Amino acid sequence: MSETYDFLFKFLVIGSAGTGKSCLLHQFIENKFKQDSNHTIGVEFGSRVVNVGGKTVKLQIWDTAGQERFRSVTRSYYRGAAGALLVYDITSRETYNALTNWLTDARTLASPNIVIILCGNKKDLDADREVTFLEASRFAQENELMFLETSALTGENVEEGFLKCARTILNKIDSGELDPERMGSGIQYGDASLRQLRQPRGTTTQNKQQCNC
Amino acid sequence: MMERAMEQLNVQLNRLTRSLRRARTVELPEDNETAVYTLMPMVMADQHRSVSELLLNSKFDVNYAFGRVKRSLLHIAANCGSVECLVLLLKRGANPNYQDISGCTPLHLAARNGQKKCMGKLLEYNADVNICNNEGLTAIHWLAVNGRTELLHDLVQYVSNVDVEDAMGQTALHVACQNGHKTTVLCLLDSGADINRPNVSGATPLYFACSHGQRDTAQILLSRGAKYLADKNGITPLELCVQGGYGETCEILIQHHSRLFQTLIQMTQNDDIKENMLRQVLEHVSQQSDSHYQRILTSLAEVATTNGHKLLSLSSSYEAQMKSLLRIIRIFCHVFRLGPSSPNNGNDMGYNGNKTPRSQVFKGVWSRGVVVPNNEFPTGGTGYRASVASYMEINEEMPLELLWHSLEEWLMLISTELGSNRKNTSSTSSGSEIASLLLKQREVDHPGSRPKLPSLLDPQIIMETEMYAEGEDVISMTANRLSAVIQAFYMCCSCQMPQGMTSPRFIEFVCKHDEVLKCFVTRNPKIIFNHFHFLLECPELMSRFMHIIKGQPFKDRCEWFYEHLLAGQPDSDMVHRPVNENDILLIHRDSIFRSSCEMVSKSTNEKLKQGIAVRFHGEEGMGQGVVREWFDILSNEIINPDYALFTQSADGTTFQPNSNSSVNPDHLNYFRFAGQILGLALYHRQLVNIYFTRSFYKHILGIPVNYQDVSSIDPEYAKNLQWILDNDISDLGLELTFSVETDVFGAMEEVPLKPGGTSILVTQDNKAEYVQLVTELRMTRAIQPQINAFLQGFHTFIPPSLIQLFDEYELELLLSGMPEIDVQDWCRNTEYTSGYDAQEPVIQWFWEVVKSLTQEERILLLQFVTGSSRVPHGGFAYLMGGSGLQKFTVAAVPYTPNLLPTSSTCINMLKLPEYPSQDVLRDRLLVALHCGSYGYTMA
Repeated sequence: MSETYDFLFKFLVIGSAGTGKSCLLHQFIENKFKQDSNHTIGVEFGSRVVNVGGKTVKLQIWDTAGQERFRSVTRSYYRGAAGALLVYDITSRETYNALTNWLTDARTLASPNIVIILCGNKKDLDADREVTFLEASRFAQENELMFLETSALTGENVEEGFLKCARTILNKIDSGELDPERMGSGIQYGDASLRQLRQPRGTTTQNKQQCNC
Repeated sequence: MMERAMEQLNVQLNRLTRSLRRARTVELPEDNETAVYTLMPMVMADQHRSVSELLLNSKFDVNYAFGRVKRSLLHIAANCGSVECLVLLLKRGANPNYQDISGCTPLHLAARNGQKKCMGKLLEYNADVNICNNEGLTAIHWLAVNGRTELLHDLVQYVSNVDVEDAMGQTALHVACQNGHKTTVLCLLDSGADINRPNVSGATPLYFACSHGQRDTAQILLSRGAKYLADKNGITPLELCVQGGYGETCEILIQHHSRLFQTLIQMTQNDDIKENMLRQVLEHVSQQSDSHYQRILTSLAEVATTNGHKLLSLSSSYEAQMKSLLRIIRIFCHVFRLGPSSPNNGNDMGYNGNKTPRSQVFKGVWSRGVVVPNNEFPTGGTGYRASVASYMEINEEMPLELLWHSLEEWLMLISTELGSNRKNTSSTSSGSEIASLLLKQREVDHPGSRPKLPSLLDPQIIMETEMYAEGEDVISMTANRLSAVIQAFYMCCSCQMPQGMTSPRFIEFVCKHDEVLKCFVTRNPKIIFNHFHFLLECPELMSRFMHIIKGQPFKDRCEWFYEHLLAGQPDSDMVHRPVNENDILLIHRDSIFRSSCEMVSKSTNEKLKQGIAVRFHGEEGMGQGVVREWFDILSNEIINPDYALFTQSADGTTFQPNSNSSVNPDHLNYFRFAGQILGLALYHRQLVNIYFTRSFYKHILGIPVNYQDVSSIDPEYAKNLQWILDNDISDLGLELTFSVETDVFGAMEEVPLKPGGTSILVTQDNKAEYVQLVTELRMTRAIQPQINAFLQGFHTFIPPSLIQLFDEYELELLLSGMPEIDVQDWCRNTEYTSGYDAQEPVIQWFWEVVKSLTQEERILLLQFVTGSSRVPHGGFAYLMGGSGLQKFTVAAVPYTPNLLPTSSTCINMLKLPEYPSQDVLRDRLLVALHCGSYGYTMA
């Protein structure tokens, strides 16, 4: 039996090397911190079904390598993404400075309508902070991004980051701003609306761990 | 007293006459059991007068139940439709609701058998329509099962609950849907049946209609608003349809619930669903309209792209994602090849079976795909742009292009890494040292694998071997995955081309990434067999990888050979195919050659590929044994000197075409036939009883011959050629020109070896060319028409590109099989020379090694030394050389490092260097055996 959901969103996780993109994904999917994380080679993949505003949404998440040498490979995965987590490391100004480039990439290669949330990761390392909350939130505002500071280590705001992004996309679908039927929208309908299983609704949230992707 | 007696007598007489007149009893027996068996046949035949008469004065209990299932006569009447008897019984007080042992009432039986009148009468007599039998079935269930709509109309007004459930929670509607009785379904729905009612396992009427592929019923249900519900295990109606391969029903489901389209497409990723069923469904749906066709292709492409990207993410399961991707691509290509269903406008070339060139369809598909302006086909806002857009631009709109783009980027990345690694290593250390170190290490790691000595000599491989250490991460982790995507890319490129042609785009791709691809297969040659199927279909690509392919074990190449050879065959999995009497080759034993030739030429190649059935005239036998015998005898006949087709070579055991075969006017036809037989034997893995000369095997393979091959037909002449090559001929005054004198039926003629050859002198400088040309004259030109005819026949079954996988030694094994080799006998009949004797440690080691070799390797050794895989009848004692008996001989050669053993086949001599240890001996011997078979450059 295939899993049930109302929508499927294609998500990207982008940002410079070492900002904790894979750890964010791991925390989101496994609810655990990934201890010995290596540099990602190319692009990794994960998925989870979440409940957003009464709808079940399957997030198909592409976690890209931050290293420069993989840049042309990872770029080829951008097309048709509906949402993105743009990640920098609050303890590294260098990763913050690179944001503009990442942002341009995402908007030009993925889709102009892509919903992006800016994540200042490693919130737990506040002592080593090089980027203030204020300047980052100003950057977010100027570039029409949502913004959160996250910690893949403690899990703080990780789920929120993904959910906030998904919620915004759902709102845009409801308001007609996004058309899921459009090719390359990064959104697909599931068949959940057709399949009123005689199971209590809550069971779908348990499904997330048995995702067979 | 008398009167009473008389009266009784009269009555009895009366009965007697009546009984005699009617030919039956006129009075029921007293006991019910006997009586009921008297009545039953009458009831069955509806002889109501007789029954009525018999019952008139009897005390028979009309409700008497009898037999194994305890039925009453009313049951019998209802069952048989004996309506008069039924009424009679009812009038006499038979209980219309009497249940037999299984709980069935007469009404059940009347309903089951469609006894309309009986049913009507039973209802008139207040039969209860709601009674369930032991399985919970009521009369309407029975009517529904058999689709008796007319009776149902009559019955349903009496039914209080049309949704009455049987023991499994099944209603009449469920069973009617399952059996696809449309009018019955309509009648039940009109009578208020619950259209969404689930049975105990959660199956609804729609579910049942789908599970049995009842298209029209599903249509009725959906148009009446049936909900799309899964059962309690989560199995959906669509899944059921797909599992059953019910394309039409799927299409109805999608018509009513358009989102199921995506679900259907997603099923391509589901391993549990049978591929052929899903393909069948998608095939059907795609043929409904052009927009369906394009939408399916687009969606499949999207799924394939996502899947391909998942495959390229290293933490995914390689096996699962690879299989899934290739499966989706197979389905995609299948649907693509079908073409759209109907021509829809002027500039569409239309789909005329296979007549439309694929490239045109391809071009058309995508452009039309983009122009369809409605929601059915999401256009990404490009609208009608396509009509002016260039082909390439449109092409980039296709989802699969994203995957190919990623593939390109990956390969480019790896190419960059290879380049930078090369720079790093060349600046840090001397390459060959590392290479040999690594080589050693790999030999240690894989003791079973064959030594890679030749790679030491190939500078490119040395480079790649170095990177094994440095660039290991990315390349070794991605090679398999990328290769699988390359395979998918090839499949997609090919399905756009006419059969048998390789897409220029793919050729360009391989050329562009040549270095990376070679690196992949050098690392892991298995990739060739697993994913690089394109090599077999495209000779020009094959040649790039030939050296790597030939380095693979014979067994693997055999498997690959047959896998590919039989790939195009339909039902190749069907082992026992019924044999059509017309397809049997009827062969006369006394004219086996001619009758076989006749039969084979009458049959078609396709039929012969599917299977061969042979029967000898006047014999019963058929089957594999007979086929084997046929090949065996026939191959002996082919070399029968009476036909003058083949001549024996100097060693007396091998054969090659006779240059004078034209004495037989039909000789070229016979050569073609011989080629067909050999090809056919190879195709069906049958062995033939012929051994050809090395040079003829080379001809079959398209490998150029060399002067050593001459020794098989003229060993003395071969020695002379050898002598010319070995010695300086400048001052000998041979006065040779590039021409030879030949005897053409008694007249000597001067034949030039090349244009103007009669006036070109052979010198020290051009003697090699002379030897090659004269070799070709002796070996090839003299029998060129014969070779061509033979190959023409051979290639009808064996494509030239496939046979290339083997060398001449292996071809012999393939065609004639592997003989058993008795090492003891071999050892006993071996001679030693140039300082060796049987006690020498090197010789002891040699035989130790021979004993440890596989059967295949021993044959390679035998071939290496004697030129043939054959052990003569009687064993090694009878081994023949160029001039008579010549035992297997081992000669000593002074040892220098890396020196390989060599051989002189005409005198059956192995020249074995005096190796310092058994390990080195073994190692070098194996290298020689495996490499020796494709060129003697090492020697």
